[in-house]
Amino acid sequence: MKIGYYPGCTLKTKAKNLEDAAIKSMAALGYEMVELDRWNCCGAVYSLADDDLVHFLAPVRDLIRAHDQGFDKVVTLCSMCYNTLARANLLMRDDEVKRDALNDFMEEENDYKGEVEVVHLLNFIRDEIGWDKLRDAVKVPLEGLNFAPYYGCTLTRPEEVGIDSPKDPVVFQAFIEAIGGNIVDFPASQTCCGSYQIISNPEAAKATTLEILTSASDAKADALVLSCPLCEYNIGRRQDEIIKGNDKLENLPTFYFTQLLAIALGLPIEDLKLELNTNSTKAFLEQKGLPALA
Amino acid sequence: MSDTAVVTEEVQEVKAEMVPVYIMGKRYDVPNSLTIMKAMEYAGYQYIRGAGCRGGVCGACATVYRLPGDYHIRVGLACQTVVEPNMYLTQIPFFPANRAVYDWENIKGEAEEVFQAYPELFRCLACNACTKVCPMDVPVMDYVAAIKRGDLEKAAELSFDCIQCGLCATRCMAEMAQYHIAQMVRRINGKFIAPHSEHCHKQVEAIKSGYYTDKIKEVMELGTVDPFDDSTKTDKIDKLIELYKARETEPHTAVEDWKPESDFALLK
Amino acid sequence: MPYPDSLKQLIKKVEETRPERIVKKKAGEEFPALSLDDRGKVLQAFHPDVKEEGRRAIEIGPNKGYRIANEMVDLLEAKSRVNPEDVDLSNVDYETDVLVIGGGGAGTAAALLAQEQGAKVIIATKLRHGDANTMMAEGGIQAATKGWKDSPYYHYLDVMGGGHFTNKPELVETLTNEAPDVIRWLLEMGCNFSKYPDGILKTMHGGGTSRKRMHYAADITGAEMMRTVRDESRNRPDDITVIEFSPAVELILNDKGHCAGAVLYNMETAEYVVVKAKSVVMATGGSGRLHVQNFMTTNHYGATGDGIVIAYRAGVPICFLHTIQYHPTGVIFPEQAEGILITEKFRGAGANLVNVEGNQFVFEREPRDIEAACIIKECVNVNKGVPTPSGKFGIWLDSPMLDAMFGEGYVKKEFPGKHILFSRFGIDIGLEPMLIYPTLHYQNGGLEFQADSTTKIPGLFIAGEVGGGTHGENRLMGNSLLDIMVYGRISGENAGKYALNGAQDGDLSLEHVAKYNAEIEAADIDGSRIAPMLLPDYTLEHVKEKQLTANYEGTMR
Repeated sequence: MKIGYYPGCTLKTKAKNLEDAAIKSMAALGYEMVELDRWNCCGAVYSLADDDLVHFLAPVRDLIRAHDQGFDKVVTLCSMCYNTLARANLLMRDDEVKRDALNDFMEEENDYKGEVEVVHLLNFIRDEIGWDKLRDAVKVPLEGLNFAPYYGCTLTRPEEVGIDSPKDPVVFQAFIEAIGGNIVDFPASQTCCGSYQIISNPEAAKATTLEILTSASDAKADALVLSCPLCEYNIGRRQDEIIKGNDKLENLPTFYFTQLLAIALGLPIEDLKLELNTNSTKAFLEQKGLPALA
Repeated sequence: MSDTAVVTEEVQEVKAEMVPVYIMGKRYDVPNSLTIMKAMEYAGYQYIRGAGCRGGVCGACATVYRLPGDYHIRVGLACQTVVEPNMYLTQIPFFPANRAVYDWENIKGEAEEVFQAYPELFRCLACNACTKVCPMDVPVMDYVAAIKRGDLEKAAELSFDCIQCGLCATRCMAEMAQYHIAQMVRRINGKFIAPHSEHCHKQVEAIKSGYYTDKIKEVMELGTVDPFDDSTKTDKIDKLIELYKARETEPHTAVEDWKPESDFALLK
Repeated sequence: MPYPDSLKQLIKKVEETRPERIVKKKAGEEFPALSLDDRGKVLQAFHPDVKEEGRRAIEIGPNKGYRIANEMVDLLEAKSRVNPEDVDLSNVDYETDVLVIGGGGAGTAAALLAQEQGAKVIIATKLRHGDANTMMAEGGIQAATKGWKDSPYYHYLDVMGGGHFTNKPELVETLTNEAPDVIRWLLEMGCNFSKYPDGILKTMHGGGTSRKRMHYAADITGAEMMRTVRDESRNRPDDITVIEFSPAVELILNDKGHCAGAVLYNMETAEYVVVKAKSVVMATGGSGRLHVQNFMTTNHYGATGDGIVIAYRAGVPICFLHTIQYHPTGVIFPEQAEGILITEKFRGAGANLVNVEGNQFVFEREPRDIEAACIIKECVNVNKGVPTPSGKFGIWLDSPMLDAMFGEGYVKKEFPGKHILFSRFGIDIGLEPMLIYPTLHYQNGGLEFQADSTTKIPGLFIAGEVGGGTHGENRLMGNSLLDIMVYGRISGENAGKYALNGAQDGDLSLEHVAKYNAEIEAADIDGSRIAPMLLPDYTLEHVKEKQLTANYEGTMR
């Protein structure tokens, strides 16, 4: 079955591991992720200014592309893209005034009213495949490994686009459970990674990342599971710098959820694009003898 | 003899209908069959800036116009666009645009290098004004989007028809000069992304090593004809003409690895 | 405008004969090519070059007595734009190692190579950097890059045959030997030639080629080459300065007789400025805008032969200017696109030329002069031209047969530029043929020079269309883009080396100009003309009649 797919810019470069593992895994599950013929950056951040319409042009165009291509759903992987697209979609569905203004401005495009549904891959698996079916498809259950699901901000907030309840989300946990891993609940699973503060206020970003790492380590996590390249940048790629001089913390491996899915489905190591992961992540897998071919 | 060929750039005495056009706001009546460029010359303008190839590829004559009662900005190349009644127009022969200087010898062919040269790429909001103003129908917004996601090959393909007239840069709210960015991307594509042409290098080596030298010297020895001196049509020239006639011609429909029957003066 | 009904009716005749023509083409049955004898006959009878009333003997200068086109003689027998005594040579505005005159492909390649020798370079150009015939060359660039079926040897033979065996052997040898290296150089600079997925460069036939060796970048080969070399020159701003809208109006010599700079004319401020240089590369291109015999032209706005005029005055002889290349296929309808070049690649790909009855009358891959003469003959002698609404005659170029042979969309994909051009007029050239007629295209001849780009004046180097001898009496398609790059590079390298090692300083002089002016007066020639022309004048009579106080210096207001 074909599903409309919006990748997002970073998934084509620095987070190719997030994308490749998803496409290969979904293929193994019988779904072809069809990348939109035309797409642009989602805008990256949802604009909160009430009188700001210009920042909606980018995400709405992407939704129009999906609609023009005949998809009633468009699947995303990156949390930020998901959040921006889903919220822009709601605006086009519910805010008549802004919708008209945007459609009028983009007169070269077909009018759009929020017809397409924006779906994060975790929810797609939950709703279209189901955890039981996923469990059946797993060939290499990730038994004995303790995974801490990291939601960050944009997967669950605001509530109207959250992939699950912002107060008590379970979808990530259900995913980890289905692929055979142990769930590690930790208090900072929805704490902000620091996001773009890393550019304007790196110290603040560092503080919050430290909190997340500490929280997950205290909960005895073997690894963090993510769905966002920016979170991965702040928590994964910058980890050495953050824990430097901190003798209480050791490196914590970080995975995209799609990579764990690929491992559990028994896909070959090339599909993981591990070269884009941190050294501690690679070392962790090596130590565990993963991925094991099906 | 060639009466049908007597055609100049001058407007023919045609019984064309005259239509009003407003050149920078000022009315002139011109034949309706003319391009904007010829209409301006008809009106009495003499170009220094604003005319280049007069054939639609150089980007010198970018023109912006509107029609009464329609808020749309319209564009065209003055040398290609036929006048419309009541259009009011101006050419934009120059628009300031920054171009990054980069050291080509040390470029590695990575998207990151383009990002560093042109960080303003990330100011794009996908307003699409660039595409709408492109007289060549280049999907400018789409190639900018492709560059931002590191797909330089796609961007090179999408931007290929760009004539660098600069109209996109006049309208960009992110203040980019898209066409300079695309130029850098196409060069990276040509050198680093497009497949390598080994056969060309091989032939260069063969020539430099003198592989063909003797054979070419032999045929050079046969000399040349002075068109004003029949005594130069010697036996040697006859020999040259014989060689010319005897050339085996690659058939039109030949496949790429076609080989002539004789391997004379070819790489073995 | 789309084809009117009268032409649509005639297109049906093309469509009627098309299936049979395609069957023949696929079976390898081409329309018979002319023998060398027959080629000569058709040229003698129908090529515009042979029309005696169109030419006269030049009365002064190194080539006194040489019969060439009236329009060119008019310029060579004209006085300088500026009185040489008025130019203050002691007041040098710019000083540089190498001055390159002309900002097209040849000039830019020269600037790059000169800079690579360590020289400071100024490019002076009449319009913008890149406004040149290079930009407009569509079809391709010849180079024998495929060693298994081609070599400079065969390229050499093709060039000589195309030029009626009159070409200068050393120039042809250099042209064909350097060709693959030029392709390599451009590829290294990031030029996007069309390739197969395995990296093999796509090549096709041109008129008069024995091997498919014409490389291309879709149908904007020249533009792709130009924008690539121009972009690279812009990466070297410390060493390469470009002065736009400032054509050279005289060469400056020094008291040793060496070339030592030029006088430029700033067309925007009307100032004359002095550039002192240790060496000069002349790369001003061709002269289609002289509209010889009132022919339309494919050339860019500034193609007025300036370099020939000023170098001839300085004493450089000319050669092969008695022949001009008429491109067989210029647009004759719609009128707005008149004169615009339809690349020979259409014929290279196999598109037939057919007359008003839908019948072939010439093999589509004859050399250009032959093809042009045959088209003129078909229209003016056989009377089977296709009448256009403006009272002219043309010939059909059957582009739709390419779609029929290679698949729907082929024309659009392989000829995007032309497809867009015609679609603006409501014509889809994948479905409807094009109406064409020969158009002034290339200056086969020019200034005499050697294979190392030198001339008889030390310090003056030649590159590109302004030079003569490489192509003899007729240039083959794909050899002009090659010429500008081969001799652009050689002239730049040698001018750079000469500037840094061989140049001798001396007092600047324009004495040769004064002498030439005096010669004109002595020869009792109409002394009212001035040259170089710089730009053609398209002001119409109805305007001129009312320009009561306008002052024209030559063609320039």
